[in-house]
Amino acid sequence: MSLLDEIVSAFADLDEERTINLVKEALEKYPLNEIFDACRRATDIVGERYERGEYFLSELVYAGHIFNRILELLLPRLERERVSILGTILLGTVEGDVHDIGKNIFKAFAEAAGFKVIDIGVDVPPQKFVEAVKEHKPDIVGLSGLLTLAIDSMKRTIDALKAEGLRDKVKVIIGGGRVDEYAKNYTGADAWADSATKGVKLCKELLGIKE
Amino acid sequence: MCKIDSEELARQRWERIKAAADLKEPDKVPLELLLDFGFRARWYGITTYEFFFDYEKAKKAIIKTATDFPTDFPPLPMFGTGSLIGLALRDYPDIARIAGVLTGPMHDILRDKYTRWPGREISPNSGSFQFIGGEFMKADEYDDFISDPFGFIAEVVVPRAHQSLERPGSAEAMAALIRAALEGLKYVEAVDSLVNGLIELGYPSLLAFITSVPLDFIGDFLRTIPGVLLDLRRRPDKVKEACDVLIKETMSRRIILTSRSVGFVLIPLHLNEYLSPKLYYEFYWPYLKNIITSFYNQGVKCQVAFEGRHDAYLESILELPKGWGIALFEKTDVRRAKRVLEGHTCVMGGVPPTLLLNATPSEVEEYVRKLLEEVMPGGGFILAASTAIPAETPPENVRAVIRAVEKYGVYRR
Repeated sequence: MSLLDEIVSAFADLDEERTINLVKEALEKYPLNEIFDACRRATDIVGERYERGEYFLSELVYAGHIFNRILELLLPRLERERVSILGTILLGTVEGDVHDIGKNIFKAFAEAAGFKVIDIGVDVPPQKFVEAVKEHKPDIVGLSGLLTLAIDSMKRTIDALKAEGLRDKVKVIIGGGRVDEYAKNYTGADAWADSATKGVKLCKELLGIKE
Repeated sequence: MCKIDSEELARQRWERIKAAADLKEPDKVPLELLLDFGFRARWYGITTYEFFFDYEKAKKAIIKTATDFPTDFPPLPMFGTGSLIGLALRDYPDIARIAGVLTGPMHDILRDKYTRWPGREISPNSGSFQFIGGEFMKADEYDDFISDPFGFIAEVVVPRAHQSLERPGSAEAMAALIRAALEGLKYVEAVDSLVNGLIELGYPSLLAFITSVPLDFIGDFLRTIPGVLLDLRRRPDKVKEACDVLIKETMSRRIILTSRSVGFVLIPLHLNEYLSPKLYYEFYWPYLKNIITSFYNQGVKCQVAFEGRHDAYLESILELPKGWGIALFEKTDVRRAKRVLEGHTCVMGGVPPTLLLNATPSEVEEYVRKLLEEVMPGGGFILAASTAIPAETPPENVRAVIRAVEKYGVYRR
């Protein structure tokens, strides 16, 4: 098994220390793109195991944590080396909601999958989303929220994008424990996800990226 | 409404709920709507900031919505959240009602770090205060906690969790505690008056107290949810010991809301849907089972809110004594839950608030009709919103749920 394959299997099995040690080793031998690719393969496996009911949210949180540790190791090189990205996601928890666990798990999985994620925090007013869309020109806007009250904020955010003529320039995905098909129709989003892995999968679909 | 009428109405409502909890067919399906604070504030015409920072207005808003949107369950007689200080002071029952709550004005005084409030950190019209918790115990402090949990909470966690109490014994800290207590007196007075108002409206006084599973407590107040999930990997033995210590104390960690209550112990669950079976059956379920069974053995039923998707653990509920209480499901399909738990557990839920946001009243009625057709036969079912109904929900859709139960939820006239 190659070192990269070992990373994939250790990461997918959530063996934190082994994964970190292997990544440290790989840093000296492989281009950044290939290490990222190993992370992507690993989180894909984690996602599949979650969808199959073998992994639960606790495993997703843990995988996100492991990825963030890997990212810390890669950061110094990330500043020097270009890596290819699938697209840019502008991400925030909508106005009125200050919860960020779901947002942070999604962020880790999206980054591991190869997206560039611009995280603008929690309790983000619609206008701030509008300004950030103008500034960063993302491919996808991800609206996160835990509480049912967040759903109306998601709608108001999407309405604000429409009012500024930005709605057609981006895809919008809503995410959180309480969003569903009803919420998607109500808010006018393009997709909804109640898990990080489903969210990442849908982001790829929204951009027409084949698995 | 005259007094006799309201007593009779309360009796009917209570009999209805009790019959369902006892797995029988009541006269009609009991209803609970779970209107959130924001909905109540908006209906009364105030901001949620006003609701949380003016007890008199909150009381009136709750009374107004309880009048205009009648259900069988009374609204929770509270407009604050459970407090860490109350836990630290659990050996002082005489001040439990004052110490046990954290309200908006108390948040200003104590400057706690674990909640966020409308008009303060979040917008004045945000639907509710929000509990965010915090890491008030470090990962390597489990042993300190285990050796003296409530001493640790009082002496280490409380100062860390409140800016005004950072220096225990300082004039600032003492002033904050006295001010918070004065505020607590006002709050208790408002809650008592609210409870009286609800009794006059014909509501049974239902809630005895709220408690939680040890692991949820650790996640909420000590380590954060991601923090406790990491601890389960890195120091499972310590987490287990902490849970064991806490379960011994659970019975004394109740938050007493009103002394006239006859109803259920409320147990909201958080980490249930996070955990894999290995973790659930080791760190969560034995403790939840222990709490429910202990209350059951004392003749008290629990009402457990199974947050999120509880599908993987639905069958394990059958391990509890038959008729133990009420299971409220959020994302688990109540049709499936009813089939699995038939004749064993009263199932509650069924109306997703997201449906109410964007449907017509007739669509709502039709949805409820179809649902009841499947789940009401045999009794043991309570129709409820599966989670809080937010402020923006069209009121006519909430009314449609009430109307649908009157039309389609009747067992016998």
